[in-house]
Amino acid sequence: MIDPLSPRDRARGCLLGLAAGDALGAPAENLTPETIAARWGVLVEIEGGGTDDTEYTLFAASLLLRHGHALTSDDVAEAWRTEIVARLDGPMRGAGFSELGTVQALRLGLRPPLTGRWHPHGWSDGLAMRAAPYGIFAAGDPDEAARLAEIDGRVSHGGEGVLGGRAVAAAVAVAMTGAEPGDVIDAGLRAIPADSWTARCVRKAVEIADAQGEGSSREEFARALHDAVVVKHYPWTDLAPEAVALAFSAYIRGGGEVEAAVVTAANLGRDADTTAAIAGALAGAGTGEAGVPARWARRIGPVHGRCLPVVAGRHVLDVADQLADRLAERLGLTGRHVEGT
Amino acid sequence: MSSGGGGGTPPSEDRILGAFVGLAAGDAAGWPAARHRSLRLAPWSRRLYRELDAFAEERQVTTLPVPFALNQPVEPLALGPSDDAEWLAWTATTIHEDRAEAFGRLVERDDLRARISVWSALDNLAAGLGPPASGHDNPHFFDDAAAVRAVAFGAAGMDPVADARVTNSGDGVLGAVAMATAVGALVRGAPMREAIDAAVGALPEDSAIGLAARRAVAVAREHGDPFAAVPALDAALLGHVYSYGVAAAETVPIALALADAAMSSVSPSASPSSSSSASSSSSSPVGPSGGAFGAAVSAAACLASVADSAPALTGALAGAYAGHAALPEGWRAAARTLTGCCLPEMAGVDLLAVARALASDHGTGSPA
Repeated sequence: MIDPLSPRDRARGCLLGLAAGDALGAPAENLTPETIAARWGVLVEIEGGGTDDTEYTLFAASLLLRHGHALTSDDVAEAWRTEIVARLDGPMRGAGFSELGTVQALRLGLRPPLTGRWHPHGWSDGLAMRAAPYGIFAAGDPDEAARLAEIDGRVSHGGEGVLGGRAVAAAVAVAMTGAEPGDVIDAGLRAIPADSWTARCVRKAVEIADAQGEGSSREEFARALHDAVVVKHYPWTDLAPEAVALAFSAYIRGGGEVEAAVVTAANLGRDADTTAAIAGALAGAGTGEAGVPARWARRIGPVHGRCLPVVAGRHVLDVADQLADRLAERLGLTGRHVEGT
Repeated sequence: MSSGGGGGTPPSEDRILGAFVGLAAGDAAGWPAARHRSLRLAPWSRRLYRELDAFAEERQVTTLPVPFALNQPVEPLALGPSDDAEWLAWTATTIHEDRAEAFGRLVERDDLRARISVWSALDNLAAGLGPPASGHDNPHFFDDAAAVRAVAFGAAGMDPVADARVTNSGDGVLGAVAMATAVGALVRGAPMREAIDAAVGALPEDSAIGLAARRAVAVAREHGDPFAAVPALDAALLGHVYSYGVAAAETVPIALALADAAMSSVSPSASPSSSSSASSSSSSPVGPSGGAFGAAVSAAACLASVADSAPALTGALAGAYAGHAALPEGWRAAARTLTGCCLPEMAGVDLLAVARALASDHGTGSPA
C-alpha cells in the first residue's frame, strides 16, 4: 500500500507537533488540572516558547544525523562532554535532575551505562521527551527505534527512564507509517517488558481513555488518570512511567489528532510540556505537517538554546527534513518501503 | 560461648545488642533526629517552623531557633533515637511474618511517618500490587529504608531480600543485602575488615551502590581515620544536584567506609592490632571500640546531607563489632528508649529488650 504522506511530511509533523506540545504545555507544567481550568478554562493557545523538550530533541537528532544506525553510547557521552558539559560556565539552565546528575557523573569521569545509574533520576522522563527522532529515523522499524533510544538513554538514564524512551521511540516509528493510534500504543508497549512500571501505567491510562470515550468530561478524565498513575507520596512530576502514560492516554483520547491530543495532554498538568510534546509527536507523525494547527505552527521558530546553547538557531522543520533525507537514503539503498505493521 | 573471632570478641548477644543500640545512637546523633522527634509535638508547632523559615528567608537570618517545644512536653526534643530505630524495632518484632502481610497491616494507617519508598509501597499494596512490583514501581526504590531494616535480618542471620523487595528495588535492595551481610558477619564474630569486604563483594561493580562502596572504602582507607575522610567522601560520593539524603548508594557505602576506617585496624577488645594502620584511637580511655565507635558515627553525622541515616547505619556496623557493653554509657542510655515519632506504638519501647528478644531467638551460641 502506498502511503499518501511522505516520510518527510510525517517527520515534519512529528517534530512540529512535539514543539507545539512543548510550547503549549510549558505554562501548565506542575499545575493541577483544577488550577489550569481555573486559569484558562481550557488551555488551547501557545503563550511562549518551547523548553528543554524541543532543545534536547534537536540534540538527539544531531547525534543521529552524525552517527546514524552506528550510534554508540560512547558517541552520545562524548557529545555530552564536548557540547554540553564543556560549554557550561555556570548553572545549567532549564535542565531537569537527570541531565544535571548526568553532567555530574560525566565530570566524575564515569562512562555509560554508569553515567545513567550514578544519579538516582534514572526514571525521569528526560529520555522519553527527546526520543521522537529515533522513531522518525527508524520509521516502520519500532525495534530499531527503541534500540537507538536505549543507546542514547544509557548515558543519562536507567531502568524505567530507558523504558519510557524505548516506548516513545517505538510508538513514533509506527506512527510514522500512518498506523491507527491503538496500533501505535501497542508498538510502544511491545518495546518494553510487560512486567514494568511503565507498561503497567500505560495500560491503566489507555484503558481509562478507551473506557471513558468522548462522553466523559475533561475533569473526569483527568481525575481518573491522576488516581491511576500519579504517585501520591512523591513531590515531583518527572517520572517517566507517569509522563508516558499521560501522553499516550491523551493521544488516544485525542483520536490521534494533533490539536485534540496536545490540548488533552497539556490540560492534564503534571509534566505538561513533556506529555504534550510526546502526544504531539505521535499525533503529528500520524497526520503529517498539515495536522498541526497553523496558528500553532506560526509560533514555532528556531530554538533559542536556553537549555542547550549548542542547538541555538535550529528549527525543528529543518531538522525533520534532514532526518527525512537520511531516511530516504536508507530506503533508497535498501529498496525498502515504509510499511504499516 | 564465644562464637568466633579472637579471644576478646564480645559474645554474640552483646554484638546483636550493639548493632541495635549502635544504630539508635547513630540515629540520635544526626541533626535530622530532632526534626523527626518533633513530630511528637502538636502540628501547630511545626507550622510555626515553616513560618519562621519564611521569616528567616525574608530577613536574611542565618540560623533559626528550631525545633522548639512551646507549651508542650520537652522530652521529644532531648537527644534520642528517631525514625530508623523505630523501623528497626518494628522489623525485629515482625521478622517471622510474611513481609507483604506485615506491611499490609500498615496500609490503612493514617498515623505513620515513613520514607517515600515505604509510603509508595504501601500505596501499591493498597492498590493490589504486591512485591516485588510494590518496591519497583516506586519513585524512591533506591533509598535505604530496607537497608535500615536489614540490620535486624543480619543480626538474626536471615536473608533480607524478601523484606527489602516490598519497599525497594535495585540499589535499595542491594543496600539491604550489604548491611545484612556485614551485620551478619560481625555478630558471628568476624573482623571488621572481613565483614566490610564481604558486604562490598555482595554489590555488583556495575551498580551505583557497588561503585560507590568501592570508592568510599578506598577513600576512607586512604585518609586513615573517619573524620579525616569526611571531605573526600563528600566530594567522591554525595550528589550535589539534589539531596536525596537517604539514597542507599550514598548512605550504605559511607557507613561501610567509616566503620572500616574506624575499626579495621583495631580488635574489639584491647588486644594489639594486627594491622599496620596507625591512626586508631587505641589509647582512648573508654577502650578502643568505644572511641572508634564515636569516631565513625561522628564522622557520618558531619555529612549534613546524609546525616539522617548514614550515622545510624554506621552505628549499626560499629556497634555490632564493638558489642553493646563497649559503647559509651551515656549513648547507651540516650539511645535506648524509642519515642514513637514515626510508629506511635513504639513510644516508650525499650530497644534493648527488642534486641534481646531477637538475640534469644537467633543469636547466642549459634554461629553461622
